Amino acid sequence: MASATLSAPVNKAANPRKGMPKWVWALPPVAVLALVFLYPLALVVQQSVQPDTGGTSLKPYADVFASSAFREALGTTVWLALGATVGCLVLGFALALVIAFVPFPGGKAVAKFIDVFLSFPSFLITLALLFVYGSVGMANGLWTDVTGAASGPFQFLTTPWGVLLAEITYFTPFVMRPLLAAFSQIETAQLEVASSLGAKPARIIRQVILPEALPALAAGGSLVLVMCLNEFGIVLFTGAKGVTTLPMLVYSKAILESDYPGACVVAVVNVLISVGLYGLYRVVSRRAGA
Amino acid sequence: MLVHSRKGKWATWVLFFALFLPLFALPLLVIVAASFATSWSSALPTGFTGGHYQAATSGASLQALTTSLVTAVSASLLALLIGTWAALAAAALKKSGRRVLDALFMLPVAVPSVVVGLAVLVAFSKPPMVLNGTRWIVILAHTILVTAFAYQSVSAAIVRLDPAYEQAAASLGARPSYVLWKVKLPLLLPSLNAAAGLCFALSMGELSATMMLYPPDWMPLPVQIYAITDRGSLFTGSALSVILMTTTLLVLLLVSRIRTKASYR
Amino acid sequence: MASGIRFDKVSVAYGANTVLHSLDLTVEPGEVMALLGPSGSGKTTALRAVAGFVRPASGRVLIGDRDVTDLPPHRRGIGMVVQQYALFPHLRVEDNVAFGLKAQKVAKAEIPARVTEALEMTGMASYAKRYPRELSGGQQQRVAIARALAIRPGVLLLDEPLSALDAQLRSGMLAELARLHRELPDVSILYVTHDQVEALTLADRIAVMDKARLQDCGTPQELYRRPRTEFTASFVGNANLLPVQVGSGSVSFAGAQLKVPTGDVASGVSATLCVRPHLVGLGDGPNALTGSVSEVQWRGSTHRLYVDVDGHRLKADLRELRTPPALGDEVTVHFAPEDAVLLSAGVSKDG
Repeated sequence: MASATLSAPVNKAANPRKGMPKWVWALPPVAVLALVFLYPLALVVQQSVQPDTGGTSLKPYADVFASSAFREALGTTVWLALGATVGCLVLGFALALVIAFVPFPGGKAVAKFIDVFLSFPSFLITLALLFVYGSVGMANGLWTDVTGAASGPFQFLTTPWGVLLAEITYFTPFVMRPLLAAFSQIETAQLEVASSLGAKPARIIRQVILPEALPALAAGGSLVLVMCLNEFGIVLFTGAKGVTTLPMLVYSKAILESDYPGACVVAVVNVLISVGLYGLYRVVSRRAGA
Repeated sequence: MLVHSRKGKWATWVLFFALFLPLFALPLLVIVAASFATSWSSALPTGFTGGHYQAATSGASLQALTTSLVTAVSASLLALLIGTWAALAAAALKKSGRRVLDALFMLPVAVPSVVVGLAVLVAFSKPPMVLNGTRWIVILAHTILVTAFAYQSVSAAIVRLDPAYEQAAASLGARPSYVLWKVKLPLLLPSLNAAAGLCFALSMGELSATMMLYPPDWMPLPVQIYAITDRGSLFTGSALSVILMTTTLLVLLLVSRIRTKASYR
Repeated sequence: MASGIRFDKVSVAYGANTVLHSLDLTVEPGEVMALLGPSGSGKTTALRAVAGFVRPASGRVLIGDRDVTDLPPHRRGIGMVVQQYALFPHLRVEDNVAFGLKAQKVAKAEIPARVTEALEMTGMASYAKRYPRELSGGQQQRVAIARALAIRPGVLLLDEPLSALDAQLRSGMLAELARLHRELPDVSILYVTHDQVEALTLADRIAVMDKARLQDCGTPQELYRRPRTEFTASFVGNANLLPVQVGSGSVSFAGAQLKVPTGDVASGVSATLCVRPHLVGLGDGPNALTGSVSEVQWRGSTHRLYVDVDGHRLKADLRELRTPPALGDEVTVHFAPEDAVLLSAGVSKDG
């Protein structure tokens, strides 16, 4: 209420006891953020239009867009992110449904486990998958033990499918958490009434649960989409030359090739895609009240 | 509630665990198992050894652990300070101002961590602020990345805080600064604890920006794990991963154990 | 330091929505003023304008002779107790009570004595070391009052202080509040409630609010016995409101002539007659009306009859009847002329 008067200087002068306006307190943290984050980000944009040859031009953009490596990385990034998001949504919905509505002893522990899972870094999943599906891992070992063949059939780990599996595994809990929160809002009485009226589970899910869960699904889905677009650790640990995503391209251009303008161009594209999607996520989750 | 017949329930649960265990529990178990194994070339690991832990707790690996701990603690504390300050300042603003601050402080979540790393690298490699090659650039990048989460959780806690406390305090003659120190911050303490734990966990596992920035003498644990597994020492990498997970869990547990008076309500 | 409260044409608006409309009201020093009204009537807004949590769009708020309209809440020197008490959960009872004293930098040596004094006044001295969560609702309420009184405010604001308590505790606390006011005769109290019993019991005067406006203001007796508006009549106590045509010295209702004091209301206009249900008697008498019983409610010590008189529903609260009438029975009810009040406000010419 005080801030209403602060915008009017006349009123402020009449009211000397008011003290500092409230936005002044927001300045120090914003200044820090501007110095260590916004300014560097601006430099990235600036550097992206300054090729090594000097001057300012859009040549770096033309070069990068023309390269097949970039176009391939862009395509891979997008389809991996979309595929992983769909997978996480389906899997997360199904699992959360069971935890919430077909309760079993230990369900709380499972929910807790999911929380813990979220606090681990993503690359651990890839590391684990190396032991499970790697060329000498569990699955192939089992296969060679049983059939006596020289090598197993599971060789997908260094392909995009391996990355997809790792991303679905790692990001599904990010969908489950908001879903479990949304499910806890649904009154069990509502479900009991529905089933007492003769509705089958599939019908209850479709007509009662799904509409309630939709905002959480949308919010969780768009968050996972953004995180998949930005995922780096999983791809790095996969170590596959065949799987290059945009963040991976930024890393290899900057660190391995020292091509900073090129790295900055890819970075700008990556930022535009993910910030745009993240903006969408914020809008959706605000609608959803999450 | 949804499935009533005993058979249907069991079928659902079997299906649930058939998906859940291999996808989520197996990876963690596999890493733990591998960290004690001498070799793994068939269905199950063979041989038991503690040797990987010996390797993981000596020399460069031990240094990586302390590096990660120092980085995570400093980044979390800094992020908590900046995030809490920003969240409190934002809460005092009107809606439009709050939106701007929300957008600004949540931006680092949307920007890919690799790009945050690149941006910090570009900005702090040249005068007047040359941090490249020092540990500070790593700590700085981690702080940027986790501040968003600190801001978000403190903001959410402020929204949940009943304004009646603040108003009761003001009606008793307490100045805003007094209300902040004696009422608001104590009541927010449980959320600040939780935010600190979250920041710590995120910083401990941060790899993307760190890969862009780390100097040779400040190599955090995730980078060390990558370097070791890249060299082919998967088992030592697993042991290091177990150490990373255990440390993170221990700190999270410790933080959730800190009971403040305000958490009893 | 007796100081009253004065609202000087105070209006509060949220955007285009006016929640308090040009309130003019004075609470005399040492007076208990109840703001009574349904939810959304603007009563809480008025109290919060005194506390400083809402800012009037226009008008002034004065405490004593100080214009506090532009002062932040912490400079106003008020005590306030809200519905949910808002005791600080992280502080012991004694620290809750000491909070205001410390915040106002009262000399350290003085604080313990004043805390004890405030806690003794509310009977909570033996709970000083407890945390709020260890207290019952009623005890928390007492601590909240002690906390507000410890700073020795000239003005005490009570916002629905009893509504979170159960019925039995509520009547006990009501007596307690009355006793506190006798012990602190200088403190002006603004008491917001939607409960007429609380207002009638405690207040020196009642301000009746509805639809963001002050509808009526007077002593409880005045408002109960001589309400001016239909709203007051039905909100302060129960009322039969009968549409009547005013004649000279009598009114006509449903074809019957009723002898009631018409005061200075002009003959020939339409008006509303207010008759309290408990003043309606069964059987023949003055101002008799006949109708059929449409509902009978037994309420233990009383029977309430709903009598349909020419399409109008008349309520009568009667001492428990041995043989209550059956539904549909023809009954005659009556009331004494002096028990009826012709509502003079809002009376208009017919048509």
